[in-house]
Amino acid sequence: MKIADGLKLIENGWIRKPKGFRVRFNRQTEAGVAAGLSPPPEAAPLNSDVTAWRYAWKLWQATREAAETGAPGALYNITVVDDQDLPFRFYGTGEFETYNPKHVDDGGNAAGEENET
Amino acid sequence: MENEMSRLQALGETMTQHGTQMALALAILILGLLAARWIHSRLSQAIRKRYPKNKLALLMCNLLYIIIVIMVILSAAVEFGAKPVNLLRLLTIIALIVTGVLIFLKPFIPTLPFKVGNTVKAGNLLGKVEAITFLNTRMRTFDGKTFFVPNRQILDDIVINYHFTQTRRVKIDVSIRYDQDLLKAKRVLEALMTEDPRVKTKPGPMVYVLNLAGSSVDLGGRCWVDNKDYWVARCDLLEKAKLRFDGEGIQFAFPQLDLHINHDGYRAGGSGCPAPSGLKGLGTHQAADEENI
Repeated sequence: MKIADGLKLIENGWIRKPKGFRVRFNRQTEAGVAAGLSPPPEAAPLNSDVTAWRYAWKLWQATREAAETGAPGALYNITVVDDQDLPFRFYGTGEFETYNPKHVDDGGNAAGEENET
Repeated sequence: MENEMSRLQALGETMTQHGTQMALALAILILGLLAARWIHSRLSQAIRKRYPKNKLALLMCNLLYIIIVIMVILSAAVEFGAKPVNLLRLLTIIALIVTGVLIFLKPFIPTLPFKVGNTVKAGNLLGKVEAITFLNTRMRTFDGKTFFVPNRQILDDIVINYHFTQTRRVKIDVSIRYDQDLLKAKRVLEALMTEDPRVKTKPGPMVYVLNLAGSSVDLGGRCWVDNKDYWVARCDLLEKAKLRFDGEGIQFAFPQLDLHINHDGYRAGGSGCPAPSGLKGLGTHQAADEENI
């Protein structure tokens, strides 16, 4: 095997490099709870998980009061996902984290609650 | 006296014959130039608002201004009595001479090694070039200050233009204690650079042991990112390195001095000379009782 082939093998198989990050959440609306992504799928994703987690945390802080009362606009199950829509570990702890976790019946599309914050 | 009188008389005759033409030509010139300036300023404002990054549109606007100015001057000259054909010939000759001189002298004209919008370091200034004029360059540093740097000074100084290359190398240097797992630290540092989407795969990230220092093993992480991502990527990687090392239980080194104190009765004697061999004392390795401070 040539070195180039070996490097390609390592590149594809060792550590997956996500192409970008989005914040996934459930938003309380008048009609119920709807799943959402920020930035939306049609927009370019964030290129830094640090930025994405900071953004997620700020979203949580901004909607905390609304979430306590269940008012429209409240965000639940805020987490960071990668380009394959898979939850991404929080770089600070190395664990999957979800801000403001709440069981939402949306056909199993809600964010995981493996490590509640 | 008579001579002056005849001169005034001649002037009076000229004014009678061509006075109206002259006044009209002057009026056309002044009003035309004012109108051209007004049109240019309004048009460039509108273009800047609508297409803030389109340099071609601004160039076209400037070109239009020059054309209007030339038309105004020509109209004034024609009104004054000049023949349009002669004027056009004159303009063509001037344009050809100017173009020829510019083409010939271009290699000898010193040019600045950057364009508007580039991020450069000139002398002690690091910032974005906002405008370049004939005499100076307007630079905005990242702390919001605007500097007007003479072009002469820039041409005499070393300039780093960060826009010449697409990518830039990020240095993540960390120091770990001697009792830490070196291989694990290398793996962790390389992994956190590899998994970052901004870090290029070619050339891939590398980790080197840079130095075996007095109280630390210095590791150097090197990876390449796009120029525009450099600063944030560097800060993110440093933050993640700290947190990941903490999470993995790898301890960073800090300046440390091991002081061995011997209680066996060494007398320094106040001479300041090193202790003779055979004597036990401060700094010797024969200490019976050691304390790490």
